[in-house]
Amino acid sequence: MSGKVCLKLEGVSKSFLAADHSGLTHALSNIDLEVNDGEYISIVGPSGCGKSTILRLVAGLIVPTTGTLSLNGATIRGTDPDRGMVFQKPTLFPWLTVEQNVAFSLRMQKKLRGREGDVARLIDMAGLREFRTAYPYQLSGGMAQRVALIRTMINEPRVFLLDEPLGALDAFTRMNMQDELLKLWGQNRHIMMMVTHDVDEALYMGTRVLVMAPRPGRVRADLKVDMEYPRSRTSRRFLDYRAHVMELLDLGRSDDEC
Amino acid sequence: MMKNAAPVPSGQDGMTRQQLLELESAPKTRRQILLGRLILVLPLVTGGAALAEYWYLPNYKSFTATLCWPVFLGVLLALYGIGLIVSLSRREARDKLRSHAPFYAFLFVLLMVYDILTLKTNTLLSPYFAYPNLILNAFLSDAGYLAVSTKSSMILLMTGYLWGVGLGLVTGIACGYSRHVDYWIAPFLKLLGAIPSVTWIPISMILMKSLFHASVFVIALGVWFSVTIACITGIQGIDKADFEAARTLGASERQLIFHIAIPSAVPNIFQGMTQGMSTACMALITAEMIGSDAGLGWYITWQRSWAQYAKMYAAIILLCVIFIGINFLMDTIRRHVLRWKETEVDA
Repeated sequence: MSGKVCLKLEGVSKSFLAADHSGLTHALSNIDLEVNDGEYISIVGPSGCGKSTILRLVAGLIVPTTGTLSLNGATIRGTDPDRGMVFQKPTLFPWLTVEQNVAFSLRMQKKLRGREGDVARLIDMAGLREFRTAYPYQLSGGMAQRVALIRTMINEPRVFLLDEPLGALDAFTRMNMQDELLKLWGQNRHIMMMVTHDVDEALYMGTRVLVMAPRPGRVRADLKVDMEYPRSRTSRRFLDYRAHVMELLDLGRSDDEC
Repeated sequence: MMKNAAPVPSGQDGMTRQQLLELESAPKTRRQILLGRLILVLPLVTGGAALAEYWYLPNYKSFTATLCWPVFLGVLLALYGIGLIVSLSRREARDKLRSHAPFYAFLFVLLMVYDILTLKTNTLLSPYFAYPNLILNAFLSDAGYLAVSTKSSMILLMTGYLWGVGLGLVTGIACGYSRHVDYWIAPFLKLLGAIPSVTWIPISMILMKSLFHASVFVIALGVWFSVTIACITGIQGIDKADFEAARTLGASERQLIFHIAIPSAVPNIFQGMTQGMSTACMALITAEMIGSDAGLGWYITWQRSWAQYAKMYAAIILLCVIFIGINFLMDTIRRHVLRWKETEVDA
């Protein structure tokens, strides 16, 4: 095994009570996973296969039914700014300005003093200088998601959890943001775990692609993507990978994302 | 770089919203422009008519009137005139004035009609309907008493209101947040909500050590109820995703309450506070009329019992003005606090 093992899931299962209390839904069953520093994990799979559940477990928003999760040997209990999460909806706090949203985490941890410069720097980096004092309703979808991203980045988390972060954006904004995310990851080389519905996106970005299967949620394949960045979406290699993943998803020759 | 083909004035980036609207709206016809000017001067016409009516129509029998009323009308007219002159050079102000002008004109008509029905013809019988001049004079002659009564009413209202809001926030947040607290409080809320808070006036008069305390209690009760309910609704309606995002950003449970739950519930809380203010005003006047020995409510019943109808009207008008002022103030505060809500901006 190369590099320091960072994130470890051992025999992790998660069950939920069904909405009508008729029984249990097994969202995840017996997941074993090791993620090393600097890996970009894309998670794809049909809905109901527990993709988001994995992220929420790592984030510490929910606890596993069985099994353990650990980061650098320390068991994960509860949330920690060290494990940042970006959701499909920007979930910006509407009563705070862009600036205040980005500073929110530092303020909660009482670390804001002396770091106002970092807040400004990140806002500049996201190209939102003129929108510093704007409220979230005044932002476009792409801008809001950028703010959500830097709001999490301010903590410099070791694990970045992205739950379909670009799912709600239009195709062009989306492709731009994919490159921005890769740039960000290239600079810090922390662990990225991204759930997506888009096989192309998964392959364009991930060093590994987890293909998941539903009922109960499990990992069907753990694929190492051996391609240089920046990747070409139209290269032979890319299309081969794509066909392979599609097959794993039982999508055969369908050209669409799942 | 593409050049904009449309014949837009140069420096279009610096265009104001007003200019934009102007540019995009259909050009006005001459008739529309003329109509607009006519509407702007309409209040001056009806105001002038009211003055003329006062001067030239003879009073009914022995009714006498002082200069108060024409001076008052004159001041109103002058104010409008000043507003008109100031707004002539400012388009936005003029448009705003134009939208209000018909109503101002109508107000002058109303005042004139009332003056005719009372002072000039006694169609609305004296002394039950005091003519405007009498009411104005009542204001002037009893100004000191009215001021004392107003002060007493406002102290009572604010004491009760602030207690109600404060306690309402505490119980509302506690109930919205904790199922345990809700279990114990909710039945009482249901019980109290079923009847208007003024129902408790007789009981609180017996239980409390002074009339003031009894009135404060009744006012606070109604406000407490509105604010509590609004607060619970607000907190229960919070998007769970906001909590989760805040958690992953390192917020503690305590911080979730103060930095997520309360700010998200603020729009609801304001709604409850506005509703609470109207029940508070109702409770205030009822308490003063039934049990108190001070305040505007008491003043109204007291003057009525002496058949001083002009003074009674004066107090009622004063109350209206005060309550309108309070509502205006609350609305201004709300707009400022909720400036982050899209719906508040253009509302």
